[in-house]
Amino acid sequence: MKSVQTEVLVIGGGATGAGVAWDVATRGFDTVLVERKDLGEGTTGRFHGLLHSGGRYAVKDKLAAEECIHENLVLRRVAANTIENTGGYFVTTPWDDPAFGDRFMEGCRDCGIPVEEIAPPDAFRAEPRINRDISRVFTVPDAAIDAWKLVWDCAKSTKEHNGKILTYHRVLDILRTGDVVRGASVRNELSGEEFDVHADVTINATGAWAGKVADMAGCPGVQVLAGKGIMIAMNHRLVNVVVNRCTMPADGDILVPIRTVSVIGTTDIRIKDPDEPDVTQAEVEQMLDDGEKLVPGFRRARALRVWAGVRPLFKDVRAPETSDTRDVSRSHALLDHEARDGVTGFLTITGGKLTTFRMMAEETVDKMCEQLGTRRECRTSIDPLPASRTGKFYWLGERLSKREATMHEDQLICECELIQRRNLERVMKQRSSTILDDIRRAVRLGMGPCQGGFCMYRATGILHDVERIDSWTANRSLRDFLQERWKGVQPILYGDQLRQARLDDWIFHGVLDVEHLPTDRLEDRAEREHP
Amino acid sequence: MRDVLVMGMGTSGLVAALRCQEAGLKVTLLAKGVGSTHLAPGTIDVLGYDPELVENPSEALPRFADRNPEHPYARIGADVVARSLEWFSERFDGYRYTGSVDENFLLPTAIGSIKPSTLVPETLAAGDLRKGGRLLFVGLRQLKDFYPALTAQNVANAKTPSGADISARAVQIEPPISGEADVTGLALARKFDDPGFLDAVATQISALVDGDEAVGLPAVLGLRRPREVWEGLQEALGRPVFEIPGLPPSVPGVRLHEILVAQFESAGGRVVVGAEAVGADTEGDRVTAVRVAAAARIKPFVARHFVLATGGFGSGAIEMTSSWKVRENVFDLPVMGVPADGQRFSPRYFDRQPMGRAGIRIDDSLHPLDGSGRRLYANLTVVGACIAGSEAWREKSGEGISLSSGYKAATTVIEEAM
Repeated sequence: MKSVQTEVLVIGGGATGAGVAWDVATRGFDTVLVERKDLGEGTTGRFHGLLHSGGRYAVKDKLAAEECIHENLVLRRVAANTIENTGGYFVTTPWDDPAFGDRFMEGCRDCGIPVEEIAPPDAFRAEPRINRDISRVFTVPDAAIDAWKLVWDCAKSTKEHNGKILTYHRVLDILRTGDVVRGASVRNELSGEEFDVHADVTINATGAWAGKVADMAGCPGVQVLAGKGIMIAMNHRLVNVVVNRCTMPADGDILVPIRTVSVIGTTDIRIKDPDEPDVTQAEVEQMLDDGEKLVPGFRRARALRVWAGVRPLFKDVRAPETSDTRDVSRSHALLDHEARDGVTGFLTITGGKLTTFRMMAEETVDKMCEQLGTRRECRTSIDPLPASRTGKFYWLGERLSKREATMHEDQLICECELIQRRNLERVMKQRSSTILDDIRRAVRLGMGPCQGGFCMYRATGILHDVERIDSWTANRSLRDFLQERWKGVQPILYGDQLRQARLDDWIFHGVLDVEHLPTDRLEDRAEREHP
Repeated sequence: MRDVLVMGMGTSGLVAALRCQEAGLKVTLLAKGVGSTHLAPGTIDVLGYDPELVENPSEALPRFADRNPEHPYARIGADVVARSLEWFSERFDGYRYTGSVDENFLLPTAIGSIKPSTLVPETLAAGDLRKGGRLLFVGLRQLKDFYPALTAQNVANAKTPSGADISARAVQIEPPISGEADVTGLALARKFDDPGFLDAVATQISALVDGDEAVGLPAVLGLRRPREVWEGLQEALGRPVFEIPGLPPSVPGVRLHEILVAQFESAGGRVVVGAEAVGADTEGDRVTAVRVAAAARIKPFVARHFVLATGGFGSGAIEMTSSWKVRENVFDLPVMGVPADGQRFSPRYFDRQPMGRAGIRIDDSLHPLDGSGRRLYANLTVVGACIAGSEAWREKSGEGISLSSGYKAATTVIEEAM
């Protein structure tokens, strides 16, 4: 059996894992990251897209607020290209206590968050759609951040530093000799191949799944509660700044303009299994009603897609033993399994939020260095990520300006998200994935109003050509994509989006009849059914 | 006073309007926009799946209607479907439709599945795979809406009822269009109307064909003179040529639309586009006028008979709000078959979708019914996609329902008016 040798094995390809790999690799360690699906497919890709200023926590949780503003400023330097500098409002709606605004201002000032109260009419001029009954408005440096771009860029930097990123590699077991963790055995989920990754240090960065991985390492009691939050992407930018309710953190209290859409979030419901977060109609209703409070007419706007993300909420049943770990803040948890369980070569980092992913990685790798008895300087707050070396923020017109420059030389494959053919082909070659949903996340293919109605047929044809896959694989890929998309659209099919869905039905069934495409060879099917 | 007001100019509205006008009635055809013909492949698919492949619609229809008593075909009747197809076929000369209700063609789609269609433009017919064949699929580099390699591979793997051998391969050509990498199907179709362009394309293809292959191209072979373009290409290549319909806007759909509109207008009919019906005035069981939003005001259109051909959920004629309330927007007709909360859609995309069959219930003369089966309006008929009871895109029955219901509504109106 083949095996892979590395210094550091990172388990988990969300923002935390990708951030750890980026940090480890840029400090000069040999790095391998394994992820059971695609990068950013779990919690990371299922949030609202907010780069916190810290304002949200300024009253409730000062430490979290201070971490947020610190990281907000760092990420603006090192990950500028993933950030749109929208700015943020905290607004007092008729349903909020106006006096909370004073506590909010004070909290922000205490935590070093630049805050200013502006006259509501000025806010209405800038954001004409927001509720005219809003009585107070505060500005803070919130921003929108593209989490997929961020993890891909962390992966890119990791690879530039000779690290390996193995997506679709599931951890089957943690390798342990005595009290020492020596890596993990993994399976390539696409080829079925199984092999061992031997590592001096193994870092468990699997978010809501961290308890399961810690159990594999024989470190029980790492309990990560899964907190489900649903979000709805609305067609168009209903607002151009992040709009938060000026109140204690609650459900449905934020509207984030990101790329061509705006996202309303979110809820917080404990669920048992982080793999199966479903969306209920009651939750959809709640989000729409909350949206109506921020932007009157919200229910008449078009909802594109709904999804549920799973927050990892850490609870250590051995809490007393680790409560003095100075690196552990209330918002995320770094578990030193040497101190906690007497197991060396193994660290768990979980909890936290996307805004603080880099800081979490830095703390984790500092702890790792301490255990290894070495000191290497963290580079992630200094050296920008590859796509951010120009230091320029993302701006809404970025793709359009590129399109305009090459309008007559290249084909526009996804009209909604302005994705051109050459770029799509390049990404397909880079990714070498036959899964259209992976391509969707990599370039935002099919994420606009038509939800892939037009571009997915094209993308299937292009994928078939670029990857030289057989027609069965291409057909399966398209059908899987349509099923995956349906999950996200069917709970919000009303109004114009129901019209859109009906048009898409006509395209995929009435024109293309994808339902009757063969998805596997007859002989393969016969063998599967009668082995 | 006008005799008939038809609202909506997809296939069902156009057919109803044209038949009434040709029967000597004075007809106005109102439409918000150009209608769903531009989205459809331009074929008349009567019944393709039940849920197994249907080879002979005339044989399958009576049984299908018996088993699905709420389906539009159960109201329209198999005999009317057959008569409407004959009437339709006879309307076209030059650019002709071919086929009969006794058989379905099996035509390759733009992704290479094979789709059953009953009446098809002559320019598509040589793609029929029932007897197998050797096919060459030709892609046009500037068109992003056709991928011949995938199509050819899927077609080569297709299994037809006869099991006849199919072989298929793909080539890509680059028609002479300077300075444009991204050309739409409609723009290409206009270029094909130019004989010089057609010659250049024919020359490129003839260097690539082999043996007795039939040649398949995306359905962009001309907009104004499609028959000449198609025949010209067949002649130049010395072999059958066929078109494959693709993503909207559909060139065969636009041709169909323009031909029917021209016939309606030359018979003296009046077309008003950009006019959305938004409400109605009624007295007892009669509609007296339809209120129409046009030019920034609401104007009543009075008539003796009204035909509702505004479409279903797809056109916005029937709407569902974010509070899950469903409404038909002109007459506020009751919408039947809307599933209860939690059951509107199956979470599996390829399952049957309960919501798909919601719509307006009709009687055998296509008058709308209320929940207890009582006729609501004596001078209103309902046609096309707003009729309840079909999942047209799955059954491959959409254009068949539109054509036959439009045809039958005209029969009702003509009988009642004369």
